[in-house]
Amino acid sequence: MSIQRIVIASLAGFSLVSGAWAADAGKDLYTKTCGVCHAVGIAGAPKYGNAGDWQPRMAGGVAKLYASALKGTAKGMPPKGGNLDAPDADVRAAVDYMLAAVKTAPAVAKPASAAAKPATASVPAAPAATTAASAEPPAAQPARPVDVSSNTSGASAADINSFNRLLKPVGKRNPPPVEDGIHDPANDGTLALMAPLAAYGPLPKSLAGNRINWVKAIEEHKINPRWDRNDPNATPVVIDLNIVREVKGSMPDVVYPHKQHTEWLDCSNCHPGIFVPQKGANAISMAAILLGEKCGVCHGKVAFPVSECRLCHSKKKDVRPVQAATAAAK
Amino acid sequence: MFRKYLWQRLLLAVIGLAIGSTVQIDEARAEYGDIVINNYSDAAGMRPAIFPHWFHRVRFRCKVCHADLGFKFKAGGNEINMVKIIDGQYCGACHNGELAWSVENCNLCHSAKPGTSTQVHESTVQKLAPATLQKK
Repeated sequence: MSIQRIVIASLAGFSLVSGAWAADAGKDLYTKTCGVCHAVGIAGAPKYGNAGDWQPRMAGGVAKLYASALKGTAKGMPPKGGNLDAPDADVRAAVDYMLAAVKTAPAVAKPASAAAKPATASVPAAPAATTAASAEPPAAQPARPVDVSSNTSGASAADINSFNRLLKPVGKRNPPPVEDGIHDPANDGTLALMAPLAAYGPLPKSLAGNRINWVKAIEEHKINPRWDRNDPNATPVVIDLNIVREVKGSMPDVVYPHKQHTEWLDCSNCHPGIFVPQKGANAISMAAILLGEKCGVCHGKVAFPVSECRLCHSKKKDVRPVQAATAAAK
Repeated sequence: MFRKYLWQRLLLAVIGLAIGSTVQIDEARAEYGDIVINNYSDAAGMRPAIFPHWFHRVRFRCKVCHADLGFKFKAGGNEINMVKIIDGQYCGACHNGELAWSVENCNLCHSAKPGTSTQVHESTVQKLAPATLQKK
């Protein structure tokens, strides 16, 4: 008897201690990883402390939230928030940490949750989910003033007149490997791979491609990719030489900077195979580039895509002579 | 009577196909620059290999692979096979257990859905001329 009591008492004590420890782990993981999106509600993530965001998700039960956090969701939640090294227990603790914030949420959110709870309290999970889903707009309205968030993230496929119908929704940019459509989710190796967003955190952003400004990332020393695979101290021979190409039509002339290119590439990568190193010897057209030739060997595949016209077409044409001529004619 | 319904069914099928094709647009959402190489994988019963450019360019400049190691700028154009890799060529120059994890981790590279064709994902070529790429 007494031994049993001791065991029970020590177990209880241990669970209390481990509970406190788990709460810390949850908070740590939240500040390190989850908070990146959940603090402000990036990409449709339920915002920390916002009961209106969390209420419909909590209706499915905590187990479902754990599963979403661990395995990721189609809406854009990466598995373990992209931090695949995090232990499962910590991820669950982080979910608990975020849920705790909603349960002690400020007064604004309370009426909504209070109104929703009595109605569903006596009924177990499945009906609760349906009632929460169907009765969600009236119940959650005070805490969730804008439903626009779901529209802009493109989550609602039902809205046929949605904005940017054919554009990639915000939540589907830089998807983690399990959700990117080419990796096999059934492959165990896929789960070990890093998610792009986990790496992109500190890097300068851009509007296209990986949505990272790779040139700036090197300039600002945010990354220092090796120039030699074995020697971390080898540095490139940077050539600072701009080549201006005058182009037809109204587009600004193209300025080709050797500087940014020689940061990444060796002369032999482009010369003489792709570009003959002689002025006027290379016929380049946008059509060729779009089909993967000339500049398009990299731009539109790996380097920034051709949608970024002005990054190349950057030298304004000198139109003054024409204006002067018309002024003189008047 | 039946013919009338048949016509409507055909119309539905066409609409269904149209919707299906737009869904496919949404499906292609790999990371920009991810390369699937499926020269021999499918035939050998392995998942095709995926090379993530973004991961590697954080660590190495283009020159390391495309000049020093001789990778041509062409998805699937290097005819890489496991013998070459084990002999220290191409991927094997780094993936040797010293500079990067070695070839025993098959599933980290061979991780694509079976049947995925060789191409550069999210590239203009993939969007503009997918048919020509399917042949490769």
